[in-house]
Amino acid sequence: MEIFSEIYSCYYRVLRHLLSSQNPLTIKDIYNRICQEGFEESLLSIIPKLENGTWNLFKKEGQLYLSKLSPFFTTPLTDLEKSYLKALLSDPRIGLFLEPTQSEALNDMLAHVPPLWQQEQFCCYDRFADGDPYGDETYRRNFRLLLAAQKNRLYADIDYNSPKGNRVHHYYVPIRLEYSLKNDKFRVLALEHHHQKRRKLEILNIDRITNVQLTEKTLSPSVDINSIIRNSYYKEPLKLRIINKRNALERAMLHFANYEKNTVKIDENTYECLIYYNQNMQTELLIEVMSFGPMLTVIGNERFLESLKGRLKKQRVLYHLP
Amino acid sequence: MSDFQELIKSFSNIREYVRDFFVYGFKTRSDFKHKSPRTYDNQRRRLESWLAPYVRKDYVSGGFNLSLAIDSNLLDTNPLFQVWKTKSFTDNDIQLHFFILDFLQDGKARTAEEITDRLLTDYEVLFDIQTVRRKCNSYAKEGLLHKQKSGKTVVFSLDNTLMQWLKSNENINDALAFYQMAGNLGIIANELLEQLDVQNQIFRVKHSFFVHTLEDEILFALLQAMHRQTAVKLEVKSSKREIKNIVHCIPLQIFTSTRSGRRFLCAYLNGSRRFSCFRLDTVKNVFLLEEAENYQKLLASLERNRPYLWGVSFQSEERHHLERLTMTIWALEPTENYIVERLKREGRGGTITRTARNTYQYEIEVFDCNEMLPWIRTFIGRILSLECTAKSVERRFYKDLQTMYQIYGIEDPADKQHK
Repeated sequence: MEIFSEIYSCYYRVLRHLLSSQNPLTIKDIYNRICQEGFEESLLSIIPKLENGTWNLFKKEGQLYLSKLSPFFTTPLTDLEKSYLKALLSDPRIGLFLEPTQSEALNDMLAHVPPLWQQEQFCCYDRFADGDPYGDETYRRNFRLLLAAQKNRLYADIDYNSPKGNRVHHYYVPIRLEYSLKNDKFRVLALEHHHQKRRKLEILNIDRITNVQLTEKTLSPSVDINSIIRNSYYKEPLKLRIINKRNALERAMLHFANYEKNTVKIDENTYECLIYYNQNMQTELLIEVMSFGPMLTVIGNERFLESLKGRLKKQRVLYHLP
Repeated sequence: MSDFQELIKSFSNIREYVRDFFVYGFKTRSDFKHKSPRTYDNQRRRLESWLAPYVRKDYVSGGFNLSLAIDSNLLDTNPLFQVWKTKSFTDNDIQLHFFILDFLQDGKARTAEEITDRLLTDYEVLFDIQTVRRKCNSYAKEGLLHKQKSGKTVVFSLDNTLMQWLKSNENINDALAFYQMAGNLGIIANELLEQLDVQNQIFRVKHSFFVHTLEDEILFALLQAMHRQTAVKLEVKSSKREIKNIVHCIPLQIFTSTRSGRRFLCAYLNGSRRFSCFRLDTVKNVFLLEEAENYQKLLASLERNRPYLWGVSFQSEERHHLERLTMTIWALEPTENYIVERLKREGRGGTITRTARNTYQYEIEVFDCNEMLPWIRTFIGRILSLECTAKSVERRFYKDLQTMYQIYGIEDPADKQHK
């Protein structure tokens, strides 16, 4: 079993799509498909092979290319893929997706396949201890309804207990379901229903949701979630100076790999890193920066710098308390 | 550049380049001193081609920096999965792939001779029988085909039942869309999604380190060794030095950090008779060796040690068996009770005691308290005292704090009063 195999290659995928076409293709159709699905330079490799017949996969009729394959061509699963699916069946979150009958059916089809891993072979040592209750029936029901709402762009009537203890009741349309590996929690990124033009993205923890009812109202205009998120970022990013001591550079680069960042070398041992973030991320980012101690120096923006200084001032005062 | 090929033969050669280009994102051509300029140029061109939508070029003195603009908040998939889809192949490989699988779609079993004949008559392509047999055997090994022997005859067939089931159950597509970014070996879920022609438009994943996928081949080999309970020989290259070391060990478990972005193999070293952890990104090769007879005993022993592991270190600098750390913090009741919740949630089994109004003591015994410092620092602004049996940990914490006060110009309140 190989993960790095041509069976899964980009070229095979592009060709499968081209060969599944029921209609004759012009070279322009082929060009377009390769441009859409291939790598940037794939055209240069694939087109000559098809044109000169080295890859004799099409019948040529004049200027048209006809697939030699049947329209029902399907690639079966490899052992690696079967083994992967078998391992998923033991994941505590799989019950959010599959009904017990579906899990059972899949398990039966994979009866003789060993799982690619066992849950106990992995240990996530710094994951938070209060992960979501994936086995809880209400949680599962709410999750599935939110999933259905997201896929069908439906507004849902949601009852929610906010972290401050307030009960909130609103109509939201879920735009994405977000999972945090660190928190082991799902959240809904949702738009609240109101008549103002500008809509704000709300983040709701699914385990704080007490009830979900789907409505028949759909979100009509398409929403570009990435523009909403991007627009929420502060104009001035966090600016860090990293002195490469105690392997700080590599640690910081990995630690902040999740954020959109830009790093520049200033001199032999000094680097500057810009990190883009929004208000929702600020506390978490501040905590992450503090965890590095003096290995990172915050040099901007002012807002972030003031928050960090505030914590240090409080600390210095506490140290002098009797 | 006439011999430039977009696809590659070996993943391990490209692995370090991707990591260097895109995790660091500030290396220019002159930083790759140990590679030839031509190799650098070809690898850079490949990466730009594979990952075009995510590549950012910043011009700096001495060349330009290439970096990958990855913001996990904005992505529906892991861009680095593309690197797995770049394996080169021969002209025969691709033709045989489609023709053999297409011919066997009806599920009937055929010999290599029959398949060869029909490739000629049905598809007008001529292959010799050995080439067809070799491909059928290779696909049987990968699980794409089923190989059966009846008497002296070997026949090959194809079973699409599972793929049809996946196509007809939307729920499993949703699950795969989720697990490709949130689970182990997500590249396989991503490949399945591509076969099903499904794209994730539902999930976003936070705190997932996209760069982990570059270690998946190593992880896969280690999981096989764990499954067979064998010892392994590892080729390990330190992240700081260029030297490769050979390590013989028994792989027991994969340790993952959701904060630092690192994954480790926890293994038992027979030579020194102790547990040790190796970062997966430093492991360059894995060779499976003989079965480890004491495998279950070692697993049980690791389980007994686990409560005393904060991270991945089994021994402190001071070489005591166990160290005790006590931290007292200030949390205003009831508005700041979330701080106490943080201690419970993130404290990995440490005890929490309310010692006075607004005052809480957190206490834990672990092998190496030095590993706790990054977490301890996240409570800066609330720490009333920190004590540790490993005095070097205490010293480092307070010294670092003093350095931070200096960097940010935080004056001592006692000095202020004197002024």
